[in-house]
Amino acid sequence: MSEIILKHITKEYENGFLAVKDVNLEIKDNEFVILVGPSGCGKSTTLRMIAGLEDISEGDLLIDGERMNDVAPQHRDIAMVFQNYALYPHMSVYQNIAYSLKIKKVPKSEIDKRVREVAQSLGLEGLLDRRPGQLSGGQKQRVAMGRAIIRHPKAFLMDEPLSNLDAKLRGQMRVEIADLYQRLNTTFIYVTHDQTEAMTLGTKIVVMKDGEIQQIDSPANLFNYPANRFVAGFIGTPTMNFFDASCEETGGQVVLQTDTGTIRMNDKKAAALKEGGWIGKKVAAGIRPEHVISAKDGASKVFEGEVGVFELLGSNAIVYLQTASGRMVMNTTDLREYTHGERVALGVMEDKVHIFDPETERTVTN
Amino acid sequence: MNTRYSDKNPLILRILGTAGKALILGVACVFTAFPFLWMVLSSLKTKADILNTDVFFPPDPQWQNITSILFDSPIPKYIFNSMWVSLAIVALQIVSGAMLAYALVFLKFRTNRILFAIVMATYMLPVAATYIPSYIILADWGLLDSFGGLIISSTVSIFGIFLLRQAFMQIPKGLVEAARMDGASHWRALWEIVCPMTKSSFITFGLMNFIGTYNNYMWPSLITKTSDYFLVSQGLRAFFVRDGAYGTEWALVMAASAVVVIPLLVLFAFTQRWFINGIGGETGMKG
Repeated sequence: MSEIILKHITKEYENGFLAVKDVNLEIKDNEFVILVGPSGCGKSTTLRMIAGLEDISEGDLLIDGERMNDVAPQHRDIAMVFQNYALYPHMSVYQNIAYSLKIKKVPKSEIDKRVREVAQSLGLEGLLDRRPGQLSGGQKQRVAMGRAIIRHPKAFLMDEPLSNLDAKLRGQMRVEIADLYQRLNTTFIYVTHDQTEAMTLGTKIVVMKDGEIQQIDSPANLFNYPANRFVAGFIGTPTMNFFDASCEETGGQVVLQTDTGTIRMNDKKAAALKEGGWIGKKVAAGIRPEHVISAKDGASKVFEGEVGVFELLGSNAIVYLQTASGRMVMNTTDLREYTHGERVALGVMEDKVHIFDPETERTVTN
Repeated sequence: MNTRYSDKNPLILRILGTAGKALILGVACVFTAFPFLWMVLSSLKTKADILNTDVFFPPDPQWQNITSILFDSPIPKYIFNSMWVSLAIVALQIVSGAMLAYALVFLKFRTNRILFAIVMATYMLPVAATYIPSYIILADWGLLDSFGGLIISSTVSIFGIFLLRQAFMQIPKGLVEAARMDGASHWRALWEIVCPMTKSSFITFGLMNFIGTYNNYMWPSLITKTSDYFLVSQGLRAFFVRDGAYGTEWALVMAASAVVVIPLLVLFAFTQRWFINGIGGETGMKG
């Protein structure tokens, strides 16, 4: 059982820089929480405050109901995996994994048993006598995990654990971490700037920007119902297309008018727009590349664009176009070759349009 | 490298270059080693042979010079005093220096930089300027003319703090943080993670300060007057002048000097590898 609660947590550095602003977060037992955001958003600082490696300027950190602000890291019973692995170079793999148990004065036979169990589960049996300097990046990563797992801690903290690996290994380790989470049944708090990692691993994602939480939600909800324009743009690759439109009502039908076409709003969106008093005003709209379609497929024309770059990825293709409403990206499964300079009429899946307040950037309707 | 070098330089130039280097180093070696050699050879001569410049090698080695120093003089006692006092001082200096260096490098606190500046500022203080205040403090504590006074007055080495701080700064902070997350206290992190990674700096520090303390003359001679508490340098001087005049027994003085150096030579032989590593600024990871 472990429940971690952050109440109005703020981190202010000595030079007055506010790295984390009034963060409130509740992490329940067995959750896989991802802190995600661009670099400098305060996600690592938040994690390090939970770990105890960084002082908390304001607010309370509760672990299992106990205030932990002033408890030293070694007394929090939390394990952490670092970005650069932080393996002890003068110790063998065995000693690295066993170090925390040695500190706890666990009997040698018990240590030996647990190290071998962990090594086996991570495929490190043959490497126990090696020094970290003799390991590959992926192996170091596994040792770092082993060092955390062996303790049976209340929670695992991971600070961008995969960012030093190459793309292929990263994908492989991601699956292993997911597998580990299933097996260990413990709370994971994971920091990354990679939204693919966030979406695939997390049960709960916390999107941060400039030290503030933007949205806390499940991966599917973040993708489908972003709380603001930043989240909408941050989650999903390629990123969402944004364009300006004016909201109008003609003959009982609420539509978004772009320079080159109109998008009809369904009842739910229409109601939200009316309620917010947006009729007759400019809004910021967004549409994901996978929801941009060729107007030939029965959709009415909304944009007209000129093909810039065409990327064939195998099962799908990404088309970059220049339109009167700005740059548009289309993610299509129609694998015909688009040629540079070709003019294409584009439609959108009308139910999938997101509408934001152009001033506050908050979501009006999803 | 080699091929490029030989391409540009004819063989004769290379030979001359090597010879020139060898000559310079050879001369430097002679200047450094000659006094030492002369001391060792003189320790085996008679007093008359020492003063006779025509004789370089002892015609008839006087081994009894050495044995009389080892068995019939107070020199072994001084060596013993010097050894254990230096060991105690170096041990204390290593513990205090490592702790302060660790705090300066790995702990975050407001006065961190100021503290380091103050520590370094004391390094600029002429040693002689500290003699009187230190003497008064020791006198107040009743520690004059005692081993306790000798040891307590040298528990902190600024040079050591600086050396260790520089070495610690090479260690990624993440390692100490990882150790803390693994459950280690700062104390354990210092001795089990940081220290093994900077072993050569610790050895360099220990060796240099051991030699310095072992040979120290001025300060010990100021605070000790009973021969029971003499360290070697002071003991040697007392030995020089014991009959009320300088240089009465040159052969014995030379033998005593030679014997006194032996512990340092042994120590250096064992730690040489690490010593050079430490001065070179490596963290000892290559071992």
